[in-house]
Amino acid sequence: MSTAPHILVIDDEPQILRALRTILTEKKFRVTTASRGEEGLALAASTPPDIVILDLGLPDISGIEVCARLREWTQIPIIILSVRDGEKDKVSALDKGADDYLTKPFGIEELLARVRVALRHSAQLQGGKETVVKAGELVIDLARHVVKRGAMEVKLTATEFKLLAYLAANTGRVLTHRSILTHVWGPADADHTEYLRVYMRQLRRKLEVDPERPQHILTEPGVGYRFIADE
Amino acid sequence: MYRINTYSRIFLQYFLGFLTFAITTGILYLLRDYLDTPLIALLFLLPVGINTAFWGLGPGILSALSAFLGFNYFFIQPYFTFAVHQSSDLIVLVVFLIVAVVISQLVGRAQAGLAAAKAREREATKLYELSIALAGVQDDHAIVRIIAEEIIQSFKSERVELTAKSHVKAQKIEFSLPVESAPLSRKPEWRIPLQTARGLLGEIRLWRADTTLHPAEKQLLHTFASQGAMALERAWLTQTETRAKVLEESDHLKSALLSSVSHELRSPLATIKASITSLRSGDVQWSSSAREDLLASVDDETDHLNRLVGNLLDMSRIESGALKPQRQWNLLSEIIGGVISRMRKATEQHRLDVNLPEDLPLVPVDYVQMEQVFDNLISNSLKYAPPNTTIHISANRQDDGTLLVTVSNQGPHVPQEHLDRIFDKFYRVTDADRVTGTGLGLSICKGIIAAHGGRIWAENLPDGFAFNFTIPLTLDGAPPPSLPVESETI
Repeated sequence: MSTAPHILVIDDEPQILRALRTILTEKKFRVTTASRGEEGLALAASTPPDIVILDLGLPDISGIEVCARLREWTQIPIIILSVRDGEKDKVSALDKGADDYLTKPFGIEELLARVRVALRHSAQLQGGKETVVKAGELVIDLARHVVKRGAMEVKLTATEFKLLAYLAANTGRVLTHRSILTHVWGPADADHTEYLRVYMRQLRRKLEVDPERPQHILTEPGVGYRFIADE
Repeated sequence: MYRINTYSRIFLQYFLGFLTFAITTGILYLLRDYLDTPLIALLFLLPVGINTAFWGLGPGILSALSAFLGFNYFFIQPYFTFAVHQSSDLIVLVVFLIVAVVISQLVGRAQAGLAAAKAREREATKLYELSIALAGVQDDHAIVRIIAEEIIQSFKSERVELTAKSHVKAQKIEFSLPVESAPLSRKPEWRIPLQTARGLLGEIRLWRADTTLHPAEKQLLHTFASQGAMALERAWLTQTETRAKVLEESDHLKSALLSSVSHELRSPLATIKASITSLRSGDVQWSSSAREDLLASVDDETDHLNRLVGNLLDMSRIESGALKPQRQWNLLSEIIGGVISRMRKATEQHRLDVNLPEDLPLVPVDYVQMEQVFDNLISNSLKYAPPNTTIHISANRQDDGTLLVTVSNQGPHVPQEHLDRIFDKFYRVTDADRVTGTGLGLSICKGIIAAHGGRIWAENLPDGFAFNFTIPLTLDGAPPPSLPVESETI
């Protein structure tokens, strides 16, 4: 990228804004900040950023609404910041189009990792999609429907492959239960998280070295799942 | 109507009194040839006594006078006049009059005494019934209803209305009997205030066509009112006392919380402050390993603080009843696996052994809350079990349709009398200084398990200590689903 990526941070806590501006500027990002939802929306419209970091608890309008209103005109990645136990809000913001989330307090490495994943994903959306995803010793060929673990081909059922393909195509991003169920099983089964639980166990048994302590298919408690490529 | 009845009753009494006298006179007149004068005088006392006994003092006196006149008219010579010739007859007559009046008075007084005693007995019975009915009633609505019922039974009245100030937010209670009767247009005949030491609580209004009340009845009505007022007062006092007790208890808990929290919050803050100020001061050139140590402890302590705040929030949520599990079918192995992965660093000095049967059904639990239960139980085990020992986690389906989960360790025993209390808030078996924590972890577990409809308890094992909990395996009455398994691969 020729110019440094532009990050818009919308949060009402001045301490967080100060810290993020310092840290992210140091990490060679251009940073704009807003402390209210409307202000953030106006800034995003006047100088569209490459990524938005959005706190869910804003004083004027809710973060979920900011999310929905951004999605009316742009697909720029949105990473939401929430407090612990805010699963419901988190999930509804993700279902409203947010790309990822972080729970306060978070480590800066986590935030940078999320930012990198989101930027890569939006670049992929503009360019072409990768058809082969590598994760440790796993190689997933999305176009040819082939999964290999090392040199061995792994036999998957149709549903298992569809599930894995959806996860791998969104490597690094959190996917909500609803979005996975809708995508793999269809909208009618969007509430059947038990399907997910059972199929994820099967996938882990076939793909993970230690299925009880998975390295690639991670559970996001109360939210969904995340596929991680690098160990 | 009542009034007419009363007058006609009185008239009837006098009439019957006179009739008794007339019949006696008739019989004696027929027998006058066989009886001498003193005997007749004696027999004439009979209707006087009977009348007084049956109809009261008035008819008694009437028959005494009638007997005096009748005796004189029919039986004392000269007959059929009120004149008296012989002086001895005059003495008989006068003595008769005195005796008749005295007898009627004596009998009447005895009668009145008996009636009063009966009224007192009735009053006592009614008061007894009222006090029995009111005993132990703390709800002021119920008290008002009971008083109204007792009044309408005891005083034949058309309508009773009761108003009283409730002690709950100064609400007004109104109750009237008979239920669903329309209010009467006229003013109530009786209004009795419900008066207590705190002031006027309310009023009893009584509609009763018979405006006369015996003094005894009047007194009874007032006694009812004062009994009712007392019952309302007692209910108020009891509730006030209960509230005071609850406040005192929550006050006590709050101060325990504050002391625990301030201690627990301050120690990580002290570490953070010390580390950060050291790093900022320009006096010392820190070696890179020392820098790393200080920063690592800051990192750890912020995580610790975060946990504390989370625990406090959870506890307040449990206390306020806001902790509602989002129960869904989950895999226990996934939940436990997630917790263990996250606690990898903390569990470095212990071995963890998870033993779940292959055919374990899906469990209907809130994923996040159940993670917290395991997190807290494992953390607690890590705190007390010596290093290099094993923490076992197992789960088994019970015959009663529940799941029994056990987290056991090789830590020290807990005295039998403490086993239940370790799930209480801020309860510690050991000194607070030896082990860190808010003293909330286990009570949060208890709250979560209870919200899932399960039970949690602790027990001493021959070689260690165990937490057990049960979780019902049904969700809204449905058993664990079994999913169709795909076997065909692509």
